[in-house]
Amino acid sequence: MDRNQLGKWLKQPAKMANKYSLNAVYFCTGCGIIEIPPVITARWDAERFGVIPVATPRQGNLFMITGYVSLKTLRAIIRTYEQMPDPKYTVGFGSCPINGGMYWDSYNTIKHLDKYIPVDGWIAGCMPRPEAVFIAVTHLWTLIDKDMANGYVRYREQYAQYRKNQETLFGKLDWPPLYATGGKAQKGQQ
Amino acid sequence: MNNGLKERLEEAFPHATVTATTETEYITAAGKESVLSILAYLKDTGFDHLALVSCVDWIDEKEFEIVYVLSPYMKDNTTLSGEEKTNVIVKARIPRDNPAFQTVTHIFENAEPYERELHELFGIHFVGHKRLIPLFLERAYEVPPFRKDFDTRQYVKDVFDNIPTIEGSKK
Repeated sequence: MDRNQLGKWLKQPAKMANKYSLNAVYFCTGCGIIEIPPVITARWDAERFGVIPVATPRQGNLFMITGYVSLKTLRAIIRTYEQMPDPKYTVGFGSCPINGGMYWDSYNTIKHLDKYIPVDGWIAGCMPRPEAVFIAVTHLWTLIDKDMANGYVRYREQYAQYRKNQETLFGKLDWPPLYATGGKAQKGQQ
Repeated sequence: MNNGLKERLEEAFPHATVTATTETEYITAAGKESVLSILAYLKDTGFDHLALVSCVDWIDEKEFEIVYVLSPYMKDNTTLSGEEKTNVIVKARIPRDNPAFQTVTHIFENAEPYERELHELFGIHFVGHKRLIPLFLERAYEVPPFRKDFDTRQYVKDVFDNIPTIEGSKK
């Protein structure tokens, strides 16, 4: 244990608890998921960093999008993301969620994931090595410390925009809005 | 022995052209009327596995080419000798305007999802198919996206690039 961190921990114990128990949702999309088994098993052992995979989104707080996102997957991603409890952190893994990657002119693959759900960090590369996951995790710790991993806050504040973007692609979504989307109601609350 | 199958096919279907590409592969190009009978004949011969139904868009010739890939299950097959256990590809061309073709689901049941896929991605209507509903795609496309005249870059510009980035997300 790092004694220098002790004061910081005592100030915000919940943040420390969030930081060192990142429960990653077992959500597979694209080819990047092939890097996750070595990450969580004995060779690289993600549990050293407090990262363990969990079975359901209700238990998770780390969401890794591990590859290209087709429209059908995006629908599942939004539903999964909205089911996760706050605070939740999203990491785009690989170049495809960032800007489409090699699917930049595909008819059925979304190009920028952060137009539809908030993303706290990106891991660039095609494919990133498992070490990159741990660099991302340690980076995410820093961001959580500085309150910069605030994707879930942004999602709540700008939900109307996110929902509008999602509905541009899918037409009418078949689940109710997570937060209030009416412009007037939001102004009244502020 | 390898010639046996080729000769038998040519004898039974004089209008079809049978070409051997490699030692283990035949291509049978047929008119669209005789495809069903060729497939039924091949199924009786022992080619009881329909591995793939696919389509090629010959845009310059204004034709679609529907491709059936057949292979026999090796086990329990007594009608074919060892050397004849090959792949047979059956091809048929249909016009590109208002493309329609007869379904083969009553010969090979597993053609059902393949034909739905072709219906969705190439816009080919399969007459007699019982469940010709969308398979993969979430959005409706004006031009089916696997046709050669579908402009993917223009589509990406129109749809994905027009979606605005979330303001204030760079905070």
